[in-house]
Amino acid sequence: MVSSTQNGSAKPAEEALNLPALVGINLGDSFASIAVLTKEGLAECIANEDGERQIACAISFFGEEMYIGSPAKAQLVKNAKNTIVGFRNLLGKKFSEIPQSQIPTSALIIQHPEIPDEPAYKVEILQPAPAPLPKSTTGTPAASSAPTPRSEPIPAERILTVSEVTTIFLKSLLQSAEDFLGKKVQGAVITVPSTFTDAQKEALENAATDAGIPVLQLSDESAATAAVTTTEIWGATLPSDRTQLIVDVGSSSLSLSLLAIREGLAHVLASSSSTSAGGTAIDSKLITFFANEFTKKTKTKLTVCSENPSTADARAEAKLRLAVEHTKRTISASSGAATCSVESLKDGLDFTGSINRLRFDMLVRPIYDSVVRAVVDLLESAKIDPHLVDEIVYVGGTTCLPGLDEHICLTGGFNEDINTPFSMGTVIGGGVGDPTTVLARGSALQAALIASLTGEDEDLRNAFERGSDLLQVKTTSKSLGLVFPDDSGNETGGTWIPLLPAETTLPARRTVTFDVGLSEKSKRLAFELWEVSEGIRVEKIKPEKGEAVDDDDDEEEEEEEIEAKHKTIVKEGLLGAAEAEAALGIKGISQSKAAGKWTTTVEATIIVAVSGAVDVSVREIGKGGIVATIKVSAP
Amino acid sequence: MASIQTSILPKGYTRPDPSKASIAGPSTRRLLPVGPAFISHLRLTLKHQHSFEAHDAHAEKQRQKLEEFQNSFANGDDDLGVGEEPETEELLALDPKEWKKHDYYAVLGLSHLRYKATPDQIKIARKHHPDKKVTTTAPQSTSSLLAGVNLNTNDDAFFKCIAKAHEVLTNSEKRRQYDSVDHELMEFQEEDPNPNSFSKSKKELSDHEFFETFTPVFEREARFSKKTPVPTLGDIHASKEHVEGFYDFWYNFDSWRSFEWLDKEINEGSDNRDDKRYTEKKNKSERARRKKEDIARLRLLVDLTLSLDPRIKRIKQQEKEAREAKKAAKSAPPSGAATPLKSKAQEEEEKKKQEEVENAAKSDAKKAKAAAANAAKKARRAARAAEEGSVA
Repeated sequence: MVSSTQNGSAKPAEEALNLPALVGINLGDSFASIAVLTKEGLAECIANEDGERQIACAISFFGEEMYIGSPAKAQLVKNAKNTIVGFRNLLGKKFSEIPQSQIPTSALIIQHPEIPDEPAYKVEILQPAPAPLPKSTTGTPAASSAPTPRSEPIPAERILTVSEVTTIFLKSLLQSAEDFLGKKVQGAVITVPSTFTDAQKEALENAATDAGIPVLQLSDESAATAAVTTTEIWGATLPSDRTQLIVDVGSSSLSLSLLAIREGLAHVLASSSSTSAGGTAIDSKLITFFANEFTKKTKTKLTVCSENPSTADARAEAKLRLAVEHTKRTISASSGAATCSVESLKDGLDFTGSINRLRFDMLVRPIYDSVVRAVVDLLESAKIDPHLVDEIVYVGGTTCLPGLDEHICLTGGFNEDINTPFSMGTVIGGGVGDPTTVLARGSALQAALIASLTGEDEDLRNAFERGSDLLQVKTTSKSLGLVFPDDSGNETGGTWIPLLPAETTLPARRTVTFDVGLSEKSKRLAFELWEVSEGIRVEKIKPEKGEAVDDDDDEEEEEEEIEAKHKTIVKEGLLGAAEAEAALGIKGISQSKAAGKWTTTVEATIIVAVSGAVDVSVREIGKGGIVATIKVSAP
Repeated sequence: MASIQTSILPKGYTRPDPSKASIAGPSTRRLLPVGPAFISHLRLTLKHQHSFEAHDAHAEKQRQKLEEFQNSFANGDDDLGVGEEPETEELLALDPKEWKKHDYYAVLGLSHLRYKATPDQIKIARKHHPDKKVTTTAPQSTSSLLAGVNLNTNDDAFFKCIAKAHEVLTNSEKRRQYDSVDHELMEFQEEDPNPNSFSKSKKELSDHEFFETFTPVFEREARFSKKTPVPTLGDIHASKEHVEGFYDFWYNFDSWRSFEWLDKEINEGSDNRDDKRYTEKKNKSERARRKKEDIARLRLLVDLTLSLDPRIKRIKQQEKEAREAKKAAKSAPPSGAATPLKSKAQEEEEKKKQEEVENAAKSDAKKAKAAAANAAKKARRAARAAEEGSVA
């Protein structure tokens, strides 16, 4: 027997064995990623056998070989007609639905020869040669005087449906995950864009099942993102009730979702998606920039991204398209200049160019602008002031660009101290906010959540089925809170204690603890339950006249007013009031700020039932404390 | 604590009437099915009919179940009574280079057991991982550049200390040497009762005080006995046999205590053989001196105890009474006539008796001292023999 430990065992470490074999798969149009659960109960994006965490969605056939991932993408240069990319968006679509006007840079989509109205790819492959000798029933080859037949593979054509291509690709992802985990995958959640129709989801689910993936759920991309952003590790420093904007920039599309997160429960307030911006558009801008640079340097004409396919240098463009991927990543990761180098770009001339961040941002400004426009449109349609958005979350490789974050924050009209993964510093170094891995990690967490529903909770799994009506919930439309009246004369007429924010899923219960001030003689306390709406007060501030006039050239003095926005509370209606005599007032001890003041600590609990009935109770903390309640009937 | 504080209610405040009968109509939204909060919401909706009370009851039940589950694990894993002792800052700051001076029982979290700790308990006592860094003692940098950087380069020091403590306490010979000069013991011995403190002012000890003072002392010294079990001091009602047996044992105490631990380090690096021999010789004589001192200390302690023991007086008294009774029984005095003539004769007799008792006590003390001297001699001889044996 051979000792298996001599050169290290092939068995994975004990820790890996104990982890549940659940994976999250993010299947994008251009890149896919896989995440598994770590022993800390978090999810982590893993690399495939090529060491790639961002696995290019490409399959290429070359001779007898099949390439998947980035090696396949590299084949776009010299083997474009046998390389398949961008297949995810065609899933579940009919041939007649696919626009045919695009210039082919990869394998051509054709009508399937047998199945009607089915798109398919035709690739040229080499089939292995048939066995050199005919099989005989006796086991020994029959004696033959003929020379041994040739053993070269035979050129052949292979027709692949989109579904088959997806299955091949998903199978390779599954293989990578199982190689990492060292055991069979027990469950997986796969992301789908929110624009996917039921037919497309159906097609994806079938392809995944064919690939042998035990699909637990197809999760919306916004849901997969929320699965990460509602976790403790993400929002430790953020308020538990917040409005979150998800900006997902894919290769060819831009989708935005505005979520209301209320103590871990998330629902969509508004969403939109468009094809106005995307990574490919940025690529095109960069390619054009570098092509011009090349022409300038070498005096060789290079036409790229041209409308007329006959004049375009398709091969050079393909080479550049592969090279600028690297440039974009460098720009995202470092503040310095990023290079782009291509060997033998055209006419045997090499090219090396560089671009710095400022230049890059100027170049792709139109794309940034279209993202901001989409954001503003979405907020307008949802009637939510940008100032009320608490957090922006980025998804997709393109959003790793710090320039995009800056542009959105500056021109979107957001609050100055809005939280973004960049402001929280969680983008770099594999932080939780890394836009390229958010979706995969979210789906892995989702898989863990669904798999944890066993035993008596097994029936709760129905809620994760597609189109489950359990997801339809009632939410409050206005915020609720208490006013403790005083003579301060502010706009609320007292101290405002927020209890329940708007857009909270019903039934809801919240508890707030605070101190109530008392006068020394009477221990009377009173409070009112108000329904309010949150608004924005715009204050115009005249900028102070700058004394330091920069130059001698007499510029016209600009008396432009700066708009400062403040969050305000507008009282909408009084729902009830109550008063009581406090029993447990205490006097603040000396030296503290509250010296000599009488206070009592109370706990206010609000319960809003599904019907809309409100029940507020204010209870003094401690033995013998009083309780005062307000009840409001259902609308 | 609560961070919000409301102001005082104005005096003229009157409760306003509600302007609205109910909250604005709820809107319908579509939840994203993610996170534990969603599962909790589902349970609330599907299983508890939106009732928070039922939901709370369920959560409490789940929590209890989990606790039970965890407890079942805790019971299965017996810690042999080692328990958990906190790692104080002082401990964590120990310098492994000063290992000779460490309190190994404290390092291993066994200071409540000390010499009573069994080898099994020592085996499972405090474990540390070399990667577990001691950040509590790290100097905090004020520079923003170094924020979060652990400046303590000696952060596996405590791990080294633990390894050393394990090494010493798991080796029976080394443990014997260490236990002989245990930190705690040395501290206690300094506070031991000595004849000077009792000679003058506190000559008179109540019975209670006597036992309170000496019982723990002998309990502590008992650990060094080669013979077991060691008789205890007992209480005021102890029998004559017990008391005699106790003093007999302690005057012939056979101790395994030795003082190798306090040896001067032999300079291993030096090639000078003479140097080494000189240090060895010095150490040997030092050990012998300490042993002698220890024996003398113990003897002094037992002497002191004997002189203060209220039971000895009682036993003497009893013996005397017994003798008197015997005498009285022998020469039964003629009753009646002698009574009025009592005065002088009786007084004389009493005086005589007293003298007798005093003499007896004196001779007893003499005897005891002689016995003690003998025992000490014997012990010295034994120690010498043992030393010679170990040297040979």
